[in-house]
Amino acid sequence: MFPNDIKFLVVDDFATMRKIIKKVLNELGYTNVEEADDGKNALPMLQAAATSGQPFGFVISDWNMPGMTGIDLLKACKADANLKNLPFMLVTAESEQKHILEAAKAGVSDYVVKPFNAATLKAKMERVYQRHSAAPAAKAS
Amino acid sequence: MSAAPKVVPEANPLFDKKLLQAFVDGVIKTLATIAQTEAKVGKPFIENELTEKGEIAGMVGMVAPPLKGTLLISFKREAIFHIMENMLGEKHTEINTEVSDAVGELTNMIYGTAKTALNQMGYNFEMAIPSVIRGEFILSKSTKGATLVIPFDLKNSSTFHVKVTVQM
Repeated sequence: MFPNDIKFLVVDDFATMRKIIKKVLNELGYTNVEEADDGKNALPMLQAAATSGQPFGFVISDWNMPGMTGIDLLKACKADANLKNLPFMLVTAESEQKHILEAAKAGVSDYVVKPFNAATLKAKMERVYQRHSAAPAAKAS
Repeated sequence: MSAAPKVVPEANPLFDKKLLQAFVDGVIKTLATIAQTEAKVGKPFIENELTEKGEIAGMVGMVAPPLKGTLLISFKREAIFHIMENMLGEKHTEINTEVSDAVGELTNMIYGTAKTALNQMGYNFEMAIPSVIRGEFILSKSTKGATLVIPFDLKNSSTFHVKVTVQM
């Protein structure tokens, strides 16, 4: 599993969902958690952290947000040489096949459907860890 | 996946039991999973138009061409405080921006869950961002047309209800 000092960025336009995710992360031992309320604010935070040498290690983002959506943030990360390998999980109320396929095509690490519980989020994070530690270079393409 | 249901003007989807069940399941699943809260559904009924008097409610426009509708989830303060305490471990005694945010997110999840079930039945409801009405409000004849009202009870004896209107 990811080391406990890994830095998370939680992106959601609803403070409630940011709190829920942060609460679950804290319960799992992850306390280095920052927040952004949409993709437009999240992207410069990710870029600045990457160039400062203290990069984020994991992004958990909502899909449906005003400003910049989660899928657009994911695409922007994949287009950025410094961010393309960053583990990126989408959290959304959308569980339809077309959305899951769109996210997979854009290179999402995993996908959590709301509502979820702590056990589900933990299991998905473990899966992301296995994928990224098994073939980090493959994710970059 | 089945073909899209044939929409005929006289067949209001509000009278489709599957639509009712999708919203009931959406509420029960959302509250049980994210807030470890048990909600009991009461007896649904139909009103002639969408009106509402309440303290805080989440609202989302439901679009599934050619259908257009509204989902409104209206909470008594004791109900939303109880849910928030279970969900976030936060005790609230007044309706503020945090409570408003929680109502928005709950509306989002309930609509998302119901929408997935409805779209699997062949409807084609689209994604939408909910809005929240806060303070003592009166929604007067907001939408003409029948409104399905589904009441729910929580363990602390508080209540909330879901209203669904489909314009034909």
